[in-house]
Amino acid sequence: MNQLIPAIRQEAARILQEDIVDVVIGFKAGTLPLKAQPAFITREEDARKLVYNGFCQNNLASYLTRRPKEERMGIICRGCESRAIRALLLERQHDRDKLYLIGVPCVGIIDWRKIEREVGENTLQAGEEGDEVIVSARDGEHRFQRADVLHDSCQRCLHPNPVGTDIVLGDPLPEGDTERAWAPAIEFEALPPEERYAYFIQEAERCIRCYACREACPMCYCTECFVDYTTPRWAESMITPSGTQAWHIIRAFHQTGRCVSCGACERACPMDIKMTYLTDKLNYDMVQQYGFEVGDSEKAQPPFAAFTLDDKNRFVR
Amino acid sequence: MNNRWTPRIVVFQCQYSLYCEADQRWMDTQLPPHIKLISVPCTGRISPLFVLNAIQGGADGLLISGCQPEKCHYKEGNLGARRQLDEFWRFLTYLGMEEERMRFAWIDLSERGRIQQELADLEEAIRAIGPIRRLVTRAIPVGENP
Amino acid sequence: MYKTLSKADLPKLIANWMEQATVYAPVRQGDFTKFQPLSDPAQANLYFAANTRYPPKALFLPQSEVMFRVKDGEFESTQDEVSSRVILGIHACDTRALQLLDGVFLAEDYQDPYWAKKREQTTLVVLGCADPCETCFCTSVGSGPFDKRGADVMLIDVGGEYVADVRNEKGQALFDHLPDASLEQIDTSRQVQAAAAAKMEKPFESEGIKDRLYSLFDSDFWRHVQQSCLGCGVCTFLCPTCYCFDIVDEAQRSERVRNWDTCMFRIYSQEASGHNPRPTNTERTRQRIMHKYAYFVERYGQIGCTGCGRCVRYCPVDLDIRQIICGAQTWEES
Repeated sequence: MNQLIPAIRQEAARILQEDIVDVVIGFKAGTLPLKAQPAFITREEDARKLVYNGFCQNNLASYLTRRPKEERMGIICRGCESRAIRALLLERQHDRDKLYLIGVPCVGIIDWRKIEREVGENTLQAGEEGDEVIVSARDGEHRFQRADVLHDSCQRCLHPNPVGTDIVLGDPLPEGDTERAWAPAIEFEALPPEERYAYFIQEAERCIRCYACREACPMCYCTECFVDYTTPRWAESMITPSGTQAWHIIRAFHQTGRCVSCGACERACPMDIKMTYLTDKLNYDMVQQYGFEVGDSEKAQPPFAAFTLDDKNRFVR
Repeated sequence: MNNRWTPRIVVFQCQYSLYCEADQRWMDTQLPPHIKLISVPCTGRISPLFVLNAIQGGADGLLISGCQPEKCHYKEGNLGARRQLDEFWRFLTYLGMEEERMRFAWIDLSERGRIQQELADLEEAIRAIGPIRRLVTRAIPVGENP
Repeated sequence: MYKTLSKADLPKLIANWMEQATVYAPVRQGDFTKFQPLSDPAQANLYFAANTRYPPKALFLPQSEVMFRVKDGEFESTQDEVSSRVILGIHACDTRALQLLDGVFLAEDYQDPYWAKKREQTTLVVLGCADPCETCFCTSVGSGPFDKRGADVMLIDVGGEYVADVRNEKGQALFDHLPDASLEQIDTSRQVQAAAAAKMEKPFESEGIKDRLYSLFDSDFWRHVQQSCLGCGVCTFLCPTCYCFDIVDEAQRSERVRNWDTCMFRIYSQEASGHNPRPTNTERTRQRIMHKYAYFVERYGQIGCTGCGRCVRYCPVDLDIRQIICGAQTWEES
């Protein structure tokens, strides 16, 4: 992974120098050892600030809808990011000709929470060496196996390889295991209903309606979110069960057929709320019922944007 | 089970689905008080937000009544509704909601008395499973305060 | 006055307080610590985390507070009697923040009754930080790990026991019966305090920050700095000094409610006509930073930030306010 950095920097510098793009969006070293910061490089000499490692927490596709529309963007994208970009292009949120996509196969994002759970809150430095993550904290050095501290979504990632990019740097990685990817949703569904309900209530209870999950998600780009409506009031802004449960249920549901399972929502949440168990189920249903997986194709309509006479749905009499 | 308890039912009815005037008149004037009617131009208008709002408000059962496929006044509105609402109900049952609480009835113009039958069936099914307790957030579940 | 208390005796003291008041302390729940009312002194977990994620300002300005209710056509007050409360284990930064917010809520011309009542009825037993965190920067904003402003009692951990610096009558009511601290203990406590502050690096110089930020108002600096910001509410909602709220009439509940709001949301200052004086994230980011480091200074003579570091730790994109202020001090327009 670290070997890709020179290639990334070189390609970023090139597309700036050749005036193919106005900005290159990637990551640079942050102020916290376990997190990198999104970087917006506009000058070729700044391309050397770009990094690529397991601390790059965010889904950069969420900047596609935040930048000026006329801007030509270069984006360094991993598997889920490239799929989110595909989904956004399908929804006509940007022009493909204004994008230059630099694909990099993804080795997964390290979950800083898993590290801090072991090491405490004062990490001083962190780095990666092969399959290991080395963290120095106030009490000394700690080593972790990368696979053990990846974010849950990355541990079951189906598609680490980028799609639809203009170039791919590095060698492709093996695709993930479908059984492993859908296992948590399937296992959850097998639990008795009271347990499923209790889990949902317990997770939703911590929510402080900061909407970090929404903002981190590349597919949430509505300028007016359903929570902002007052007539009718679908989800009150209070941190009551009414408002908060409606928030989680509907936000997940609005992702049906659109969510790329990147887990950026969970990583963004300051209250460590689990959400992918909701979207994974919806994504799984789309695969099972409509053979649809977002990002697989540049043209296929998401299931809710289409319908047929022959749809086999329950309760059709 | 407290047999004085009456299920609260919400019906979303597409305004074209009952061709028979007698049936429509019954819906408009003779619905028992525990059944609330919300008329929509087409089932395609029904958003999952409506369903969730009814559930959170304490609806023990929901009936969505629309036209048969190919008979939609707006051509394909009812087809658009079908996928979303089916998946939304599947999603709510994933979170612990009882499957029996919601039905989707596509009524042909010629099926007289069908709507009353659907409502009766739904009510019976709801009585068997009891008042809604999960995801109700804005109303006291009936069983607690008869 | 200085009192002393062994750590082993703390649960007994808490139990004592619980007879007269509701005692709040950091309580561990899984990976989390949150200020909760104690039902058992053993629940108090003063050292589990550097600080709670959710700020204790919520105990004075609840995130959702019902202001009144309408029942059968009549207004109904929702202000139940606030019972006597003790908050144990709050840090200096959060305590100082409450004092800053007093400037807002207990102003000369208007006193917020919801805030006032809670402040009156609460005693703050502060635990100073002997070992400040990597993300803490209280010393850069005119405060420190043992800043006593706002504390009714400041506890200094000197090893097996605490030295309690009792600051006023409220504190005396809780600590009076304890033995006085020895001169030696007091001396140790001073060393601990000095050492804690000395350990902390200063990421930026706050001297002159107000004028510097005013001079940058029209600068490109803000457009540059806000690029990664997602416009969520994490920084604002976890901040112990942020206080903006939105009053909503929730018709379905027949209640008027006050909820925390954030200037980082697009609709925060959007007007009914649709016009938005802060149309892009650039204006909104500028507003948030300047509110804390310029406008608050202008109005209250203090920086509206106590350096607790929560925004630094939990910002989803590691947008670091320390880096922003430092950047503002050194920005050169190109």
